[in-house]
Amino acid sequence: MAVLLVVAVSSASLVLARLAPGDYATGALGIEARRETVEQARARYGLNKSIAAQYRDWLSRAVRLDFGNSLLYDRPVRDLVPERAANTAILAVSALVLATLVGLPLGIVSGTHRGVVFPRAIRSVSLLFLSLPPLLTSIFLVFVAARTGWFPISGIRSAVAPPGGAAADLLHHLIVPSAALALPLAAMFERLQAQAMSEVINEPFVRAALARGVPRSRIVWRDGLKAALRPVAAVYGLVIGALLSGSFAVEVITSWPGLGSLMLDALRARDVYLVAGCAGAGAAFLAFGTLVSDLALAIVEPRATQ
Amino acid sequence: MASIRSEPRTFNRLAARDSSTDLVATLTHAKLVRINKVTQEVEPWLAERWTASADGRRIDLQLRQNVVFSDGHPFTADDVLFSFAAAYDKRAASVLADSLRIGGRNLEVIAPDPHAIAILFPTPFAAGVRVLDNLPILPRHKLDAALRDGTLASAWGLSTPLSELVGLGPFVLADYRPGQRLVFVRNPRYWRTSPDGVALPYLDRLTVEIVPDQNAELLRLAAGQVDVTNGEIPPEAYPTVKRAADAGRVRIVELGVAAEADSLWFNLKPGAFAQDARAGWLQRDELRRAISLAVDRKAFADTVFLGAGEPVYGPETPANRKWYWTGTPQTPHDPAGARAMLAPLGLSDRDGDGMLEDARNVPARFTLITQKGRPRLERGAAVLRDELKKIGITMDVVALDANAVAERIGTGRYEAVYFHPSKSDTDPASTPDFWFSSGAAHLWNMAQPEPATEWEARIDELMTRQIASLDEGERKRLFDEVQRIFIEHAPVIYFAAPRVNLAMSSRVVNATPAATMSPLLWSPDTMAVVH
Repeated sequence: MAVLLVVAVSSASLVLARLAPGDYATGALGIEARRETVEQARARYGLNKSIAAQYRDWLSRAVRLDFGNSLLYDRPVRDLVPERAANTAILAVSALVLATLVGLPLGIVSGTHRGVVFPRAIRSVSLLFLSLPPLLTSIFLVFVAARTGWFPISGIRSAVAPPGGAAADLLHHLIVPSAALALPLAAMFERLQAQAMSEVINEPFVRAALARGVPRSRIVWRDGLKAALRPVAAVYGLVIGALLSGSFAVEVITSWPGLGSLMLDALRARDVYLVAGCAGAGAAFLAFGTLVSDLALAIVEPRATQ
Repeated sequence: MASIRSEPRTFNRLAARDSSTDLVATLTHAKLVRINKVTQEVEPWLAERWTASADGRRIDLQLRQNVVFSDGHPFTADDVLFSFAAAYDKRAASVLADSLRIGGRNLEVIAPDPHAIAILFPTPFAAGVRVLDNLPILPRHKLDAALRDGTLASAWGLSTPLSELVGLGPFVLADYRPGQRLVFVRNPRYWRTSPDGVALPYLDRLTVEIVPDQNAELLRLAAGQVDVTNGEIPPEAYPTVKRAADAGRVRIVELGVAAEADSLWFNLKPGAFAQDARAGWLQRDELRRAISLAVDRKAFADTVFLGAGEPVYGPETPANRKWYWTGTPQTPHDPAGARAMLAPLGLSDRDGDGMLEDARNVPARFTLITQKGRPRLERGAAVLRDELKKIGITMDVVALDANAVAERIGTGRYEAVYFHPSKSDTDPASTPDFWFSSGAAHLWNMAQPEPATEWEARIDELMTRQIASLDEGERKRLFDEVQRIFIEHAPVIYFAAPRVNLAMSSRVVNATPAATMSPLLWSPDTMAVVH
């Protein structure tokens, strides 16, 4: 199914990019170029073929895992995409981990306490971040980084490795973009977890345990949590998809050299092969995310997989 | 530390013309001559002197001796011959080929000896050696095989081992991280020295960060993380940079009005609106003159460039000191006059709603395409829409991405365009494709087999004489007449040009800012920083 998804998404992306007005040759050579020069370039890149012929050629190579050469970078797509996908994976995983570590505990606190100031504040902040798209959070965080000088404004690594080493440098650069992605996500996890916890806390088994004298904290953090993780685990697959689409804007704003910024460049340049490659990688991410979601659900609720 | 907004497409300047690829070429290659972007004068570069024949059809250049490429290989006339052959190679289909042709014909290049070159022009060409500023001199010993086997177009792509990238420029590319940065180090074999004998470049290392987002780029400049950017400060970002300048971290340089203004033109190809009910007035000179009268250029400049702009009335701005026609009429803002000019076309308010219709009751309405994502173009289009509404014309603005706009222009599928075409040089002889009716960049009606109008035929004749004349005074007089005819018939209408502001970190010294594609890095070998 995952393979079918990747093929379908790549194919659709290639065809749609090809159907869009203009092509790589027109954009690269500009309006001042002679018609003959443009036509020569189109012939060289195979852009003078019909969409069907171009798709047929691409598909016949793709089954041999040759996804063509990027028109923009003149490098094989199968070399370019994994390079950038790895950077996006780093960003996505760190954002997911951060969102989970922040969102879940806050959700537990706000879901199990009512009428207290701190949980109400958590709810308000979550609603704020839920309504802010990653684009806005990244612009805000870049602004804060610029004003304070605490974090790098953009990029993935410093030009000269600092004393702490390359890994520390990467982590330092990761803070702003992953926070930009993680904050709206953490807000979503917090709301989901809070809702789930407030339902679980009123379950008969919880009231019975409290009546037997089991400490509240143990009930909340052990028994209640496990039950309340179901809705969060179920959305992990969707979250991966949201991370990908959100990462596009964040990668551009923070100059994170990932799949999103590569796809944007490819779309702007009408690099049809690179668009197809990036879209295919995105579909692969989504398929992987769905698998992770199923696994998470299996761990949290084994009965769901039976 | 410098920054650019996009990655280079290739390390092969013959294959792409984007600003980042051009910057890499500027840093790593050299040309036979260099046009000083500040003075617009030609400077000896790899060619240390030259003489032109009396008929303007031959230039003999003497090449510098004892110059070597960054890998130590000697530079000779063979490399010049090779570079021209590469630019003209049909299989390579270089983006530079058209800029090295006169009247659509290649230059003939011969090498009388290893350190001399003769350029033979197919027709007299007054601009002479200026055309040589378009061609970086490439190493034959590295690229000859690619030229011979027809793979030059894909040579020196982004995955090329950096040790293969050899040049005569001040820097050598030492490191490239895709999507992140390019690191250049000084070329120890660079041939230029300062007037006091110090080997250039002054900089040992130049790091160019890739920062796609303009806001992030300017924040990095203001925060001192970047010393120079590869573009001017857009008007909307000026307050941010000004604050950094007031705090002493950044220095702002104002260069005056830009040499190019954004352009509005109509599709004037005969028959383009043959089946259209508006054919009777949409391509008429009077419509364009009326539009020119209808727009308050001072208000336009203030709105579009946020106060940092100047009205412009013709194809050249005062920034082009040598070629600007000082008699350029300052078209007044006269909406009543505009309406009066439209009346003979049959356009009047027939139903009292304030908007014009023609004799067949067809509304005076057309579509303008412009580029999405370029704030000054979108603002300009919006202002034009509002100004034309006041005289009863409805202009529908459609913003498309750059590729789509280029495609519409190239295929002639548009009614009107508001765009920013760029010129490679201020000398009109270097932009024949714009001025000649047969030119590929004759925006409003490209590549005409015969001039479609009398005035275009007249401009063709004047420009032919202008390009061939060796008398600078005569050339100026002829080009003044070209501008007069151009303004009279208004195939392209200009409204305002921005005042160009550049910013650089306070530690940068010896920079020579100019309103050009790489405004600070066009002359990288004399730049330095203080610590």
